[in-house]
Order: sequence, then C-alpha cells, then structure tokens
Amino acid sequence: MAHVVLKDLVKTYGSFKAVNDVSLTVNDGEFVALVGPSGCGKTTTLNLVAGLTSITSGDIVIGDRVVNDLDPKDRDIAMVFQNYALYPQKSVYMNLAFPLQMRKLPRDEIDKKVKEAARVLDMTHLLERKPRELSGGQQQRVALGRALVRDPAVFLMDEPLSNLDAKLRVQMRSEIKRFHQDLKATIIYVTHDQLEAVTMADKMAVMNGGFLQQYDSPAQVFAHPVNMFVASFIGSPAMSLIPLETSTANGGTALTSAEGWSLGLSPRNVQKVTKAATKKVVLGARHSTIKLHKSAVPGSIPAKVYTVEPTGDVTFVQAFLSGAIVNVSVPPNIAVAPDERIWLEFDQERMHLFDGETEMALEAD
Amino acid sequence: MTIVTGKTEARRKLQPVRSGALRNIWAHRADYAYVLPAIAVMLVVIAYPIYYTIELSFYKTPPGLQLRDKTFIGFDNYTTILTSEVFWKVTWNTLIWTFGSTFISFVLGFATALALHRDFVGRGVLRAILIIPWVISAVAASYIWKWIYHSDFGIIGAVLVGLGLTDRPPNFIDNVSTVLPSLIVVNIWREFPFAMIMMMAGLQTVPEQLLRAAKVDGANAWQRFWHVTFPHLRNVSVVTILLLAVANFNSFIIPWIMTAGGPSNASHIWITHIYELAFGRQRWGVASAYSVLLFLILMALGYFYVRALSGNERKEGSA
Repeated sequence: MAHVVLKDLVKTYGSFKAVNDVSLTVNDGEFVALVGPSGCGKTTTLNLVAGLTSITSGDIVIGDRVVNDLDPKDRDIAMVFQNYALYPQKSVYMNLAFPLQMRKLPRDEIDKKVKEAARVLDMTHLLERKPRELSGGQQQRVALGRALVRDPAVFLMDEPLSNLDAKLRVQMRSEIKRFHQDLKATIIYVTHDQLEAVTMADKMAVMNGGFLQQYDSPAQVFAHPVNMFVASFIGSPAMSLIPLETSTANGGTALTSAEGWSLGLSPRNVQKVTKAATKKVVLGARHSTIKLHKSAVPGSIPAKVYTVEPTGDVTFVQAFLSGAIVNVSVPPNIAVAPDERIWLEFDQERMHLFDGETEMALEAD
Repeated sequence: MTIVTGKTEARRKLQPVRSGALRNIWAHRADYAYVLPAIAVMLVVIAYPIYYTIELSFYKTPPGLQLRDKTFIGFDNYTTILTSEVFWKVTWNTLIWTFGSTFISFVLGFATALALHRDFVGRGVLRAILIIPWVISAVAASYIWKWIYHSDFGIIGAVLVGLGLTDRPPNFIDNVSTVLPSLIVVNIWREFPFAMIMMMAGLQTVPEQLLRAAKVDGANAWQRFWHVTFPHLRNVSVVTILLLAVANFNSFIIPWIMTAGGPSNASHIWITHIYELAFGRQRWGVASAYSVLLFLILMALGYFYVRALSGNERKEGSA
C-alpha cells in the first residue's frame, strides 16, 4: 500500500476548468471519499489519478513516484467502475485472471491468486459463470475481486454502488468498508451520495465546480463546514440556511428578518457576525438542533408549517421562515399540521453563521 | 361490432370445429381476416412463382415452342445440370465470387470503420465520400468500371503505361484468367461501405468503461481490441457477413452488365447463368432446376442468418 499526493492538480477542457488547483494527501491505508454533485470534477480527478485522463498541470505522486506521465498499467493502481465493467464474454475466473495475464504472470501463480481472491470475496462457486448470470451485487464483488488480485498500491473506485438497489447498496457499503479494514488498503472512492462518504470514509474531500471545498474527517466536515455549499451538501435532510441581517439595537447584536422578528445572539455568535464584512449573514441550522414549540417561548421565532413527513422514528417538519424552508425533526408523538403556526428555537451553540456575500463560515477566535 | 372477441359464451355457440389448430384459427378468425389480403398478395407474387419454378424444373421446354407443349422428364434437368462441365465451372466461379467478395469487403469495411472511429479533422467528409460507392446506381457503376478497365481507353491501363510498368495496357475483362478477380474488385468497391456502416454502428456500442477497465488492467491497444472490442462485435459481424454472402450469391447487375458471363463462361456466376439460360436460350426447364438448387442453398444461408439474429435477442433478453 502507498500514500497518494495530489499537488495543484489542474485539468482543463478548452476554456473549461474541470479540476481547479486540487491539492490533497491520502495517507497510506486511508479511505478517502471524493464527494460532490454531478459535474463537480470528482470523477475527472479520479481519472487523472488513474491515468485515464492526462493532467494539464500539477503533480500526482503514488508511493514515492511522480506518475504524471505513466500509463495506467504502470501506476500500480486498480479501479472499480460504476457499471462494474466486467468482460461479458469471459467467465468470472477469466475476468479475475485478465489483469494478471496482461502482466504475463505464470499460469499457476495466476490460478493461486484468482482462487485466493475468490475465497476472500466468497465467490468460489461463481468462478465458472458468465457476468450476465450474476446478480448486481455479485457482479460488483467480481469487480472488487478483479481489483484485489492485482494487489495494487491504491484502489480507485468510481461510484461502485450507484447501480445497485437501495437494500443491496447498504449491504455492499459495509462489505467495502470491511474490505478496507481487512486489507488496510489505500482507497480513493468517488461518490455523489454524501451518506456513502460519511459512513465509509476516513476522510472526505468535498468538491464543487472543480474546486476542493473541504478535506477533513466526516465528523469535522459535518460539525464545521467551511462554507454554505459544504453545509448544505453534507447531511440529510440538508442544513437549513436562512438569510438574515445583523442589527445593533439597545447595545446588543441580533439577526433580524425582513419578516420583522429578530434573534438575539450569544456572545460567541456576536463575535462571529462581527467578522463579516457585510450586514448580510446566513443562519445555518441542522434539523436536530432546532426545537419546535407549539406556543411562543422566549427566544423562539414564529414560523408556519409547510409539510409534515413522518418516517417512523422521527417526523420531519418543513416550515417557512423568512423566505426559506427550515427542516426540523420532532419526536413522532408531536402532532403538527400543515399551515399550523409554530415557534422555532435555535441552539446557539450548534448554529452555523455564514458571511452572506462570500458564503464562507464565520468563526469565532 | 359483430366481431366476437371476448365472451366465452358466445364463442362456444359459434364454434363448429373441434380440432386444436383449427379451433385456434377460428378463435382468432378476425386476426386472420385482417392479414388475409397480404397473404393473398404474397401467394400470387411469391408462392405461385416458386411453385411454378419447381414444376417447370421437371419438364423439358423446347425453345420456340409454347410452354404448354412442355413434356415431363422427371429429374432429367437436374442430372443434365449436375453432369455438365459448365455447371461446375459456374459453381466454382460463384464460390470464388461470393467468398472473395464477402471476406475482403468485410475486412476492408471493418478496417475502415476502425480507422474512422477515432475523431479527426475531416472524418465526416471522409465517411460521406466512402459511402458513395454503395449509394450510387450499380448499373451506372458497372458502366463506369467497364470504361476504367477498357483495354484501349481505360484509365488504369493508361496509368500503367504512363508509369512505364507495361508496354501495352493489360486486358482486364477480356481475359479468362483476370476477368473474375477484376469483377470482384468492382463488387468489393461497391459493397465494403455497407460493412463499414454496420461495423461503425457496432463500434459505437462498445462500452467505453470496458475499454478503460482493460487499460487499467494493463492491456495494450491490440489486446484491448482483441479482448473487448472484437468479442463485442461478434454478433454484428456474423449478421454483416451473412447479409453480404446472400447479396453476393444473388449478384447480377455487375457481372451481367460488365461481361455477361464471358469470355467463355469465365465470369458466369449462378444468377447470370440462370438468366442467360432462361431469357437468352429459353431453356426454361433447366433454368428452373438451377433456380431450385439456388433456392435451397439460399434457404440454408437464411436459416443461419435468422439463427444469428435470434441468438442476439436471447443474449440481450437475459442480460
């Protein structure tokens, strides 16, 4: 296994910058998820690491080698693709053997490695089958096996679970996680599903518009999103973002809404909003940090229920507040109805504040 | 509505026939009524001629006499054909013609398709130019090639002489040993664009991700072609080859217009020979017997064609 370093990586197509100065280090044995919406540059980044796409500028280091100009086969990587990319005319055995045959390994060694990989992934009984005779989950396991037999320095996975149905996806998610733990493999994993990234990865690299937005552990990214994009992308339901303005009245600093209400701030949050260059501040709050009241309590803000989504364990309430929709989770025994008037109380310790102009998170000293 | 479609009660009352197949037909009599006109037309223009050809193949039809004066001679026409020297000569020509044209057209078409599969400046124009031989009239093309090959005024001869390669222009189509290859060249020129189009369509269905996977797995360009692209094109290749083979077996325009089978039967293939026997020498009986034999051979090819097609469906269905 090996570490991977991306340094000032740039990929342009004509005037379009698909990957914009991306720098990050994947430590040996780390599971890193590249996550972001479609077209954010995550798959392009992975293809750059794989060598399937040539870089415009920057450096890629795998192990201790700069691999910028090496062919994919010389980079000591293995890749798992979204549509499995199994060779349809070859049996499972031949699919697993193919990368070894291409490396001209002796036949008995190939046989040993293929059988070992099949044993590890519990598919010895499938070796003689053709890919089309396998279920989606089995095909994905064969694709993993084909990466595994190579014993590569780095595993690259391009949305490997997105073709599976929801139930199988959850199951394969834990299988891949187990695969990582057992092999102590270095894995770079591309996904658009933030839940996959949060549940599996040691670190996640959130990308948008070709830029790396934040690179940190899922817990850190969740607790301290650096900007409004990361805040709204990570977490489900998404963090509510309410555009407000700061005002100073009676010596205190508060956030006021065009609707007329205002929200007093704790000293720490006051410190944050004074960092903003503008009066425009966006209040961010996750559903679990907002309390719903059926009558006014001190510090609460009036809102109107939009929809109610009971899920069994919790009920998600969407409410209109100052032109934004706010997600709140409440225990299932609390009954609210659409269009009902409610009062929301924000947790001062766990709320996020963003500069309304730059969209960057405001931090206290 | 008077057509009975659903009610079992009504159907039972109206049902006069008891046997399985007939009952089935009766139950679907409306459906049969709808296709009846089409079946009638098919019977008149296809089934009857086939029947009449088979019938004629057992008769002697003296030239100059009316067809009703034909005399039944059993399998005599067939023995005449199978024992004649011309038959074996023409059969050999047909085999060379069919296999030569089909094989080289396919390989050339496939190679062109591969060359055109990559993006480069002028690809669209080149593709359009390469399709021209296939879309222009075969009759016009035959006359043009006749001039190109002409021993006195042909451009090929002129170029060869001009380059000093020969003293006098070679005789392409008035020569027993060169006439068939010369015609095959024209046929390939005319039909390789068809193979090219088929294979180009096939190439577009090769999954990009498989090629990438093979690249990561360490396969070089040739290995990627051999392990990914080629197996993927197997079915479209089979269909293309069979279609070409049937078309070539049935060729008429190019050999008939350019040489009419000559010189001394050197470029006669089955179809031109049958045409000459029937409409040239009016030996309807022998020509019919030839046609029946040809029909049987083409039926066999057709069987493989249908099997190749349904094989595709089976695979796609289970994928």
